[in-house]
Amino acid sequence: SRELFVLTYGALVAQLCKDYEKDEDVNTCLDRMGYGIGVRLIDDFLARSAVKKCRSYSETADMIAQVAFKMYLGVTPRVSCSSAAGNEFSLILDKNPLVDFVEELPAERASLCYCNLLCGVIRGALEMVHLAAEVTFLQDRLKGDAVTEIGITFLRKAEDRKHKRS
Amino acid sequence: VLVSVICSPPQNYPLYIRSVPTENELKFHYTVHTSLDVVDEKISAMGKALVDQRELYLGLLYPTEDYKVYGYVTNSKVKFVMVVDSSNTALRDNEIRSMFRKLHNSYTDIMCNPFYNPGDCIRSRAFDNMVNSMMMQVC
Repeated sequence: SRELFVLTYGALVAQLCKDYEKDEDVNTCLDRMGYGIGVRLIDDFLARSAVKKCRSYSETADMIAQVAFKMYLGVTPRVSCSSAAGNEFSLILDKNPLVDFVEELPAERASLCYCNLLCGVIRGALEMVHLAAEVTFLQDRLKGDAVTEIGITFLRKAEDRKHKRS
Repeated sequence: VLVSVICSPPQNYPLYIRSVPTENELKFHYTVHTSLDVVDEKISAMGKALVDQRELYLGLLYPTEDYKVYGYVTNSKVKFVMVVDSSNTALRDNEIRSMFRKLHNSYTDIMCNPFYNPGDCIRSRAFDNMVNSMMMQVC
């Protein structure tokens, strides 16, 4: 059923390309759809994986890469921290199953982020656990880069529920 | 010399033609076009027979003094035609069959590309590379 999933995603992207003329509109639409999936998927993920609460951003990033990606896409991206402040991370995918059948982007769609749905999913899921983040594609194999790299930037600290007692 | 062509119903216009060497390409267009009639004849002769891998491969369509033409048709009625020099007697039936199988596999990969519309001309680097390597092996 993996082929059906990949072909369905491809058909979705192709249909969006027919509906919208500009690449940015397609990217935005994919991101929005991904967001809707992410806010719902997070509960399924937490229920199925029964992981403990993450205490730092790097634990969260590791969790996304090693557990979530493995569970839903069957691949495990590498995590690397790209800022000294510890709030920017990169997930580096050597193999991306969503683009199995797509050889390259058509010439008139050069700035299309084919897997932008994934960015929306991560963003939505993180928001439901009260972590605001910006998720974008830093590198894309379909655009000629060597690997596919997703960048996650955590925007502000998770809400501190502890109240200080005087 | 080797030429391969893929044609699809219902208009039967070629989606992809590649020949090595590249001169005289027009002559091969003509040969392939006439061989399509033979392909149609063979398909209708098979009737409602069970279609399996052996019957997808149509074999030698007809030999002329210069070259031999082989055909292969898929379940979705996409026809593959290969024209080979008669002087190339080293090519055996099994090799032709495996070449057609490789063509068929690459064709299904192209079909899975969400940006490819069935009926478009085939413009894919991976497909070109596969065909080139196949032809280099033969010549």
